Amino acid sequence: MEAQIKVKRFNPENGAKPFFQDYSIDVSEDSTILDGLIKIREEQDGTLALRCSCRASICGSCSMKVNGSAKLVCKTRIKEVSPQGETVTVEPMSNFPVIKDLVTEMDSFWSKVKSIDPYVKTNFEPEAEHIASNESMTHLLGVMNCIMCGACVSECTALEVDSTFTGPAALAKAYRFVADPRDEDKKERLGKLNESSGVWDCSRCLACVEVCPKDVAPMERIVKMRDLAIEEGYTNTSGFRHTESFSDSIKKHGRLDETRLALESTGLLNISGLIDLAVIGIKSLFKGKIPPPLPHKPKEADKVTNIAKRLDSEESEE
Amino acid sequence: MSKHDLLIIGAGLAGLRAAVEGVRQGLNVAVITKVHPVRSHSNAAQGGINAALTDRGDDWEDHALATIKGSDYLADQDAVEVMCREAGEAIIELENMGVIFSRDEEGKLGTRAFGGQKKARTYFVGAITGSALLHVLYEQSVKYNLHIYEEWFVTKLIKQDGKIAGAIAFDIKTGQMELITAKAVVLATGGAGRVFEPSTNALICTGDGLSLAMQVGAPLMDTEMIQYHPTTLAGNGILLSEAARGDGAYLINSEGDRFMEKYAPDYMELASRDVVSRAEQTEIDEGRGVDGCVYLDLRHLGKKFIEERLGYLQEVALEFRGIDLSESPIPIKPGMHYIMGGIKTDLNGATNIPGLYAAGECANVSVHGANRLGANSLLDTIVFGRRAAVDSVEYIKSAGSLNVDERELSKEKSRIQNILDRPKGMRSAELRNKMGTAMTKGIGVWRDKDSITEAITKMKNLRGQLPNVFIENKGKVFNTDLVSYLELEFMVDVAESICHGADKRLESRGAHFRTDMKSRNDSDWLKHTLVQFAGEELNTTTSDVTITDWQPTERVY
Amino acid sequence: MKFAFYPGCVARGAAPELYKSTMLVVDKLGIELEEIEKAACTGAGVLQEKNQKLGDVLNIRTLALAEQMGLSIMTICSTCQGVISQANHRVVKDPEYLAEINKELEKEGLHYSGKTEVKHLLWILLEDIGIKSLQDMFNIDLSSFNFAPFYGCYLIRPSDALGITENPKRKHSLDIVIESTGASATDYAGKTRCCGFPILLINQKNSLKMVAKHTGDAKDEGADAMVTPCPLCHLNLDGYQAKARRQNNRGKADLPILHLPQLIGMAMGLDAKELGINKHLVSTANFIKSIKTKVS
Repeated sequence: MEAQIKVKRFNPENGAKPFFQDYSIDVSEDSTILDGLIKIREEQDGTLALRCSCRASICGSCSMKVNGSAKLVCKTRIKEVSPQGETVTVEPMSNFPVIKDLVTEMDSFWSKVKSIDPYVKTNFEPEAEHIASNESMTHLLGVMNCIMCGACVSECTALEVDSTFTGPAALAKAYRFVADPRDEDKKERLGKLNESSGVWDCSRCLACVEVCPKDVAPMERIVKMRDLAIEEGYTNTSGFRHTESFSDSIKKHGRLDETRLALESTGLLNISGLIDLAVIGIKSLFKGKIPPPLPHKPKEADKVTNIAKRLDSEESEE
Repeated sequence: MSKHDLLIIGAGLAGLRAAVEGVRQGLNVAVITKVHPVRSHSNAAQGGINAALTDRGDDWEDHALATIKGSDYLADQDAVEVMCREAGEAIIELENMGVIFSRDEEGKLGTRAFGGQKKARTYFVGAITGSALLHVLYEQSVKYNLHIYEEWFVTKLIKQDGKIAGAIAFDIKTGQMELITAKAVVLATGGAGRVFEPSTNALICTGDGLSLAMQVGAPLMDTEMIQYHPTTLAGNGILLSEAARGDGAYLINSEGDRFMEKYAPDYMELASRDVVSRAEQTEIDEGRGVDGCVYLDLRHLGKKFIEERLGYLQEVALEFRGIDLSESPIPIKPGMHYIMGGIKTDLNGATNIPGLYAAGECANVSVHGANRLGANSLLDTIVFGRRAAVDSVEYIKSAGSLNVDERELSKEKSRIQNILDRPKGMRSAELRNKMGTAMTKGIGVWRDKDSITEAITKMKNLRGQLPNVFIENKGKVFNTDLVSYLELEFMVDVAESICHGADKRLESRGAHFRTDMKSRNDSDWLKHTLVQFAGEELNTTTSDVTITDWQPTERVY
Repeated sequence: MKFAFYPGCVARGAAPELYKSTMLVVDKLGIELEEIEKAACTGAGVLQEKNQKLGDVLNIRTLALAEQMGLSIMTICSTCQGVISQANHRVVKDPEYLAEINKELEKEGLHYSGKTEVKHLLWILLEDIGIKSLQDMFNIDLSSFNFAPFYGCYLIRPSDALGITENPKRKHSLDIVIESTGASATDYAGKTRCCGFPILLINQKNSLKMVAKHTGDAKDEGADAMVTPCPLCHLNLDGYQAKARRQNNRGKADLPILHLPQLIGMAMGLDAKELGINKHLVSTANFIKSIKTKVS
C-alpha cells in the first residue's frame, strides 16, 4: 500500500528553520511507522535522521510524536493511525531540544534519572541473595518494564512549564527503588522526592499514563510516592495539606469544601498566600458566586462518613 | 587526545560488566558506545540466565555437560568449566546489584526450565531478563560514575609496536573525530545478525567488533556456527522467547501434532535450538507447515500465567500480529538469531593481540561451540566481561606508556572524508539487503557445497562494490547515512568470514548442517575453524578443541 | 430522555452559574434529570492518593444509586466524569474487586452490577441527542465566533477507562460541538493539556504558567472565548487568568471562559445573563456585547 508520511525536518547545519517534508512510500499492509521511516531513509532520502534499533519495543530508541502524541514508532502500525491512507505526521518528541530531524537531545533526561540515585542501596552484602517475596518482585516488574524511551516526558504537562521538574520517567525510576524491599535508603529518598521539583509538582494530568508504550503508569507511581512520603512523616508540604484537607472534607461532609480546602492547603501561616486567596474571594463575592460557608451536603451524608471511617481504619490496619 | 587505561567498546552487558570491574579495580576506564547503554541489544534476551546454584542442590558439572552436549562437543571444555563454576557467584552478584529476579515460595531465587537441559536452572525476570539486567548494570555505571562516550562510533583500532594502543572514533552528534588512547581495549560490541536478512537482531548488531579485531590481525573462530532460533515471527523476524517452551508451550504443525515427538522424544520442545529449528524446517519442507511456518501454542497455559511470566511475548504477539496467545497459536519459524563464532580469545578474554580483549557475543572463548543453549548468552557476557577486565589489570601495569602517532588520526579523517566525497553511486542499504538475502540463502538452517560457494562468490562481489556506494548526507551532525555505510564495511568482513568458515568445515555439527555431509565427523573435525586476514585475502585454518572430562558421544535429545 | 444527575461539588459550590445554565439547557434539550441526592464527592483523584479503595467505594456507590434509580448518569464536570469512569473501569475488569466493594455497599443495602453508564453532557449531546437534532434547537448563528476548546485532562485520559476506543469521536467531541454552533474551533496546542488546577494550591507558579500559556495561546490564535466542560479548569482559567497573564507577561486577562452549557444556551438564543455569562471573573462585558453586534 502507499503511505503518506509527513516528517518534521530540522538541520542545525544549514541555518534553516524546521519545516515539514512529505514522503510517499510503498509499504506492506502490516508495516510499522518505523518500517516506513527506514524505507524513506534507505530508498529516498539518506539525509533523514532518526534513532532506532531493536524494532521490537524493547530498546526505547524510537519514541517520536505521531499525529501529535508520543509513540514508539516500531510498535505503531501505519494502518492503525491511518486506516484510510491519511497522511501520518511524524515529529520529534516535545520537551526535548532537537538535534536533527527526529533525533532529540536526551542529556537532561538522563541527568534527571541520575539525580534520583538510580541504584539499589544496601548497607550490607548478603552472602546469598536477599530474601524477598515473589509478589514484591513481580510488583516491581511494572516499573522495570520502563525502557526509558522518553514518551512520558515528551507529553508531560508539568515539564512543559517547568523544566526543573524531575518528570515522570525519573520519578517512575525512583519508585523502582522506593518500593524495592532490598533498598535501605527509602526514607532519605522520599525526603528528597518530597522537595520542590519532586512528586508534588506532578499535575496529575494522566498524559504519561496515556502515552507510555509499556504500561508503566508513571503518574500512579508518583502519586503512590506522595502517600509513602506522608507515611514516612514528611507532612510539611502544601501538597500534604491539600490532600489531607480534601479527604477530610469528603469524610466529614461527603463533598468538597472549596473554601476550607484553599485556606488549609495554603497554610494558615502563609500570609501572602492567604491575601492572594482573599483577593480572588472578594472578586468572586462581587460576582455573587462565592461558595456558601457551609457546604452543600449530600442527603444522608452520615452514610458517607461511616464508609470513610470503616475504610480508613481498614487501611491503617494494613 | 583522551587517555585511558582501559577502553571498552560496547555498553551492553559484557561491556558494562567489564567496565564496572575495571573501575572497582582502580583503573581509568572509559566505555565507548554507538547507542546509549540501555539501547544495547542485551535488552532482547528475554528468557533468563543459567546458573547451577550449589546451595540448592544443583551441580555446575551438570550444567557444563548440558552446555557441552548442546555445543555438539565443539565448545572448549576448560572454558565451559570456568563459565559454569562462576555462574552461581555471577547470579548472586547481579541480585545484589538490584536485579528483580523472580522468587520461589521461600523468597529465594526461582527458576524456569530452558532448552537442552533437564534441570530447571534458568533465573529470570518475567520475559525481560536481558533488559532488567542491562538496566541494573546501567544503574551500576551511574553509581560508579563511569566515563561513557555516548553515541560515539569507532572506525578503527590503533596499534603501537604490535600492541593495542586505542581507537579512533567520532561523536555521532557532532561528527567530531578523536583519537582515544588506551593501554587495553575490550571489544564488547555484540553480534552480527544484520549480516543476515531477516534476523532477530537489532539494527545495531552489525559485527563492528569482529571486523575491528580482524583488521588488527585477530582471527575469528567458528564463524559458520550461526544459530537459527526456533521461534521467530514470520515477516520481521522478531523473537519470541524460548521461555514460552520453558514454561510449557507446545510446537504444533498444520495437522495439530506436537511434531517434536518424532525428533526429540525425551526433551520434546526443549531440545537444543539447532535440533528444534531443523525439526521445524523439516515439517515445513515436507508440507506440514502453513505459509512457511509452524505454530507455537500457549493456550493451555492460561491468560494470567502468560501475562505474569511471559508478558513481553504477549505484548509482541498482540502488537505485531494481533494475536492473543491465550486464545490462538502463533505462527513462527526458525530465524537467524545468534553467532556462536567470534573473536578467538583465551579463558580471560585475551586475543592474540597484546592488550586486545573481547567478551560477549563478539567473542568466542569458546563456550557455545556449535550451538548455544538458551540462557547461556547472558551468563557468557557477565562471566567473561568481568574476567577480561580483571586480566587487563596486570597487563596494563606492565604495558608501559603510549606514544601514539597523531598522524593516525589525520589518516583516518581523510579516509572518512574520501568516502563522504564520493560523488554518486548506489545506496548502502541496497548492498546490505543483497548481502542479507544471499547469506540467508547460502548459510541457512541447511547448507551444502553449492550454497556456500555461491555465497562466497556473492560476498566477494559485494566487497568489490563497496567503493561504488555513496553517502547522500554530507553533514556532520547525526549522519546515520555515513554510520550505515561504515557498518556495512564491517559486515562484509564478517559475512565473508562466515562463508569461509562454513566452506572449511566438511561435516555437520550443531548449527552447521550440511545436506551434502550429514554426519558429525569427530576424527577429522573435532576442530575449530579460524578465519583471518592474510594481506587483503582471508585465510582459513583450524585448531584443536580442548576436551577435558567429557568425551564426545552421540547427541540424542 | 432521562438521566440520573451528578452535578459535582463545584457546580453546587463555587460555580453556581454552571448549575443554572445546565438546568436551562437540559430543559430545552428535553433531558429530564433526577439528581442523585445521596451521592458523595468523587474524590477528584486527590482522595484516591490517600485511599484509593475509599474513593472507589464512594464512586461505585454513586453508580449503584443510579442503578437503583434505573438510570444512566449524566455529569457536567470532566473531573467527575473521569474519576467515576476510572473507578467503574477498575471494577468492571476485575470482578473480584467489584465483589469486595459490593460487600461494603451491602451494609447500606446497595449493590452494583457493573452496568451503569456514566456520560458527560458533552457526550450526550453527541451520542444521545445527535449533532443534527442539536442544531435544530439552535436559533443563533455563531459563525463569526472563534471558540477555543479546553477539554480537561480527565475527559480524554486514560482513553481505555473513558471508552474512547469504542467511541473515537469523544476525543474530538468538544471541537465537534463547538463547530455545530457554526463557530470555528480554535486550533492551539493547549486544548488537551492541563489547566493547572490540581497544583494551584501546591505549586502556584507552575499552575499559573499553564493558565497563561493556554489562554494566551488561544487568544493569539484568534479565540473570542474559551469553552470548557470542566468547572475545575474553569476555576483556574477564569479565576486566576488575570494574575497568570500578568506574572507571565502574556498581557491582560482578555479571554472569557465559558462553561459548555453556556455555549449551548447561547446558540439556543438564551439570554447571556440568564446563563450567568456575566458571572465570570474575567470580564465578559465586551463578549456579551459582541453577541449582539456580531450576530445581527
